[in-house]
Amino acid sequence: MSLHPMYARPRNLEQASELLASLSSGAVIIAGGQEIMPYINYGVMMPDVYVDIGGIDALRGVSAETDEVSIGPLTVHRDIQNVEEIVERLPLLAYAAKQIGGGMQVHNRGTIGGNIVAMHPLYDVAPALLALEAEVELLSEKGSQRMSLSELQDLSNHGLGTSSILTKILVKPMSPTTLWGYYKLKNSAGAYGSANAAVVIQLDGENIKSIRVAIGAATEKVVVVSGNLDSYLGGPYSSEVGLAIQKTCSDAIGEPLSDQQGDGVWRKAMAGVAARRATEMALGKLNNSSSKG
Amino acid sequence: MEDLLDISALIQLRVDGQFHELDVLPSRTLLDVLRDDLGKKGTHLGCKTGHCGACTVMIDGKVAKSCITMAATLSRAEITTIEGLADDDGSMHPIQQAFWDEAGLQCGYCAPGIVLSSLELIQDNHNPSTKDMEVALAGNLCRCTGYQSIKRSVTEACVRMYPEKK
Repeated sequence: MSLHPMYARPRNLEQASELLASLSSGAVIIAGGQEIMPYINYGVMMPDVYVDIGGIDALRGVSAETDEVSIGPLTVHRDIQNVEEIVERLPLLAYAAKQIGGGMQVHNRGTIGGNIVAMHPLYDVAPALLALEAEVELLSEKGSQRMSLSELQDLSNHGLGTSSILTKILVKPMSPTTLWGYYKLKNSAGAYGSANAAVVIQLDGENIKSIRVAIGAATEKVVVVSGNLDSYLGGPYSSEVGLAIQKTCSDAIGEPLSDQQGDGVWRKAMAGVAARRATEMALGKLNNSSSKG
Repeated sequence: MEDLLDISALIQLRVDGQFHELDVLPSRTLLDVLRDDLGKKGTHLGCKTGHCGACTVMIDGKVAKSCITMAATLSRAEITTIEGLADDDGSMHPIQQAFWDEAGLQCGYCAPGIVLSSLELIQDNHNPSTKDMEVALAGNLCRCTGYQSIKRSVTEACVRMYPEKK
């Protein structure tokens, strides 16, 4: 904690990584700053050193191969919403990024990397990425390491810190036949979600072939529900199945959050509701929703 | 590695057309620099958390909240504040005139941010729908007008700035 912090702007990943390794606690990584600046402004965080990774070109850009979309962590939310490679291959992620609060100003500067490493349970990107089984690449003193976002979430408490730098987000492109939905249940237009559900579904004719749900804003970490939904596979969707999916997803919420977004009992119930509505959106059955866009 | 560390950062900003080279302490916001160092008091401090949008400016043509933008991270940037819109002779930019004529502001505290967010919208989209306006203005709070007259002002600004689109 320092009233006279230092500032560094490493030019490449090697410099950044070496610098972070050489610093003791008290450093913070900054890029868009949309996550940490409110804390700085109110003195909640008083870092000794700011390591500004905004000048590192290797952390920029989106590239799409046939079997993988690679997203640089400095990609801002506005680009996640609009870049062709993401809109076409990962429409669920593009849609979820539009639900991020704070307005265009925040979408223009906030980065997908910052959103992920904050590991904030109320944020919108993680549920979408976890529903898509995304992986991440991290760079630390020990070298580069690839793991699933789910593993990273299990390892981290309240963010990634400065032990490593998130260098890539890697997602398999969604097939054109993949159905998807994202439902953010919130109290007012600018509010955080009280339950954020992302759903990815494959159909075989009328029947559900696979379904994977990721629910944010209900517990401290995003909950992925997939195996528990196996009993609904092989049959068609109906409103009864929808209610059963709702119950299964609600039951998957262990210790619900209880905060300004609503108390725990309600959050647990709404997690299921958001999951059902996201499923209905995926299947084109959500009545009160505007069209995907 | 320690040689990378500095007590301040040298940044180059072109603010409303004027070039500035500034040595800024880390943790100072772009808002601090604009208001305190450059005297650009048209950019307002509201919440310091990124919620209200009163501090909105354009960074390289895109709106941003200057209160949650660390100045040191802008090594080279083009900034447009509300003070950069009017002509040198003091005549208002068409979007400012539209807000004036349609009563798109009352107390005026949020107006610099609202005008800049609206300007970015209509520069990209000359004929925005109500929904487009709501999305573009989601990051700006106004406690006076109720937004109806703001939306009317945006529509009027489009008519004046891009008459061929109507």
